[in-house]
Amino acid sequence: MDSQALWLTLRLALTTTALLLAIALPLAWWIASGAGAIRALTQAVVALPLVLPPTVLGFYLLVALGPLTAPGRLIIRILGHPLAFSFSGLVLGSMLYSLPFAVQPLVAGFRAIDPALGEVASTLGASPLRIFRTITLPLAKSSLIAAAVLTFTHTVGEFGVVLMLGGNIPGATRTLSIALYDQVQDFNYAAANRTAGVLLVFSLLTLIAIYWRGASRRSLLG
Amino acid sequence: MAETDRLEPVAPEGLRLTVNIRHRVGALAIAADFQLTKPWTVLFGPSGSGKSTILRVIAGLIPQDARDIEPRSRRIPLAPQSPSLFPHWNVSDNLTMRRVRSPAEIEEILSLFRLGHLQHKLPRALSGGEAQRVNVARAMAWAARGGLLLLDEPFAGMDTALRDEILPEMRTWLAKRDVSILSVTHDVAEAFQLAAEVIKIADGKVIAQGPVEIVLSEERQRLLNQLHG
Repeated sequence: MDSQALWLTLRLALTTTALLLAIALPLAWWIASGAGAIRALTQAVVALPLVLPPTVLGFYLLVALGPLTAPGRLIIRILGHPLAFSFSGLVLGSMLYSLPFAVQPLVAGFRAIDPALGEVASTLGASPLRIFRTITLPLAKSSLIAAAVLTFTHTVGEFGVVLMLGGNIPGATRTLSIALYDQVQDFNYAAANRTAGVLLVFSLLTLIAIYWRGASRRSLLG
Repeated sequence: MAETDRLEPVAPEGLRLTVNIRHRVGALAIAADFQLTKPWTVLFGPSGSGKSTILRVIAGLIPQDARDIEPRSRRIPLAPQSPSLFPHWNVSDNLTMRRVRSPAEIEEILSLFRLGHLQHKLPRALSGGEAQRVNVARAMAWAARGGLLLLDEPFAGMDTALRDEILPEMRTWLAKRDVSILSVTHDVAEAFQLAAEVIKIADGKVIAQGPVEIVLSEERQRLLNQLHG
């Protein structure tokens, strides 16, 4: 077992989940709070990683973050190194890759809340921020948990984006799924078996936890 | 006696609300101009005549440019037609919205609406009538002193005997705080019971305003004819 890869994978998944939720919450709330062409376009862009091969996303990020583009050059000037082939670059790639898994459950959760509740609260003098914090968020709690769990597990299992954007640097970008790929390339089937087993058991346990909770709390994944 | 006299002013001090609304919902064009000068005014009209929309505009739930209301109040609580209680909070928290409120004030309102024994219950454990009482009580708990309160069919689904019991206490409570009410009903008997100023609405327009006996005399006659004939 590559414990360095395991630790890196968990660190990547945790960082991605925390940062992504911070972005997905306001984004999902905005999408859920109305209709129109701009919202439809945003939702389509958010959903893109669901249908796009991860390697396509990884390729565009690799180009965008490299010295070929203005933002890429700016990042290199600020950080002193490119974002590609670094842990931060992986976090960015994972966030984009898992965007739909965080945003979509939240949008569904927010849409399920009766808009009359917020309206009443506002006539009673509650500010929009207060309404979001004390009414919307608690009522969307199960969707929030679903979004977090899905983002976390999805990040643990990602491969294409990591390979394109991060390469295979032990301790920096070599996650469990990359380690597994390497082990197979080296014909080290015993190690590959252990790595695959860890990923399988982890994913299965997470899903059991979700459905267990979902069964007792009614509709979690929609 | 003196106390009662003081509690029944012709108009609450300070409140003279002018409402000018232009708003379109689907096929219905609302053009309503009226003044609120009495402690309790009723918007009366058939369903679909725009009554609820007028309340929503006054409450500020429909964009600002559609309403012109003087004086501008910072807060006009609305008790909507369907209770819309916060499902994750018990009755007491629904009233306070989990903000710091004087317990005595909240207790007074809870007991006025006969909700004391239900205060720790969640909305899903309430009957329709109980939820409706919480709905009205919650709006009252947030009424500004000297301000306006909007009640959409406040007594719908409420037990009539209980309503008769609560109503006088509600009036006393409102008068003490100079709070005026604009409520909506389509029920002639209720308009008469409230003995209110009535604004009759049809197709989004005000067709009459005045004391209930005058504005709704035809409707009352029709109702009496139905009862006797």
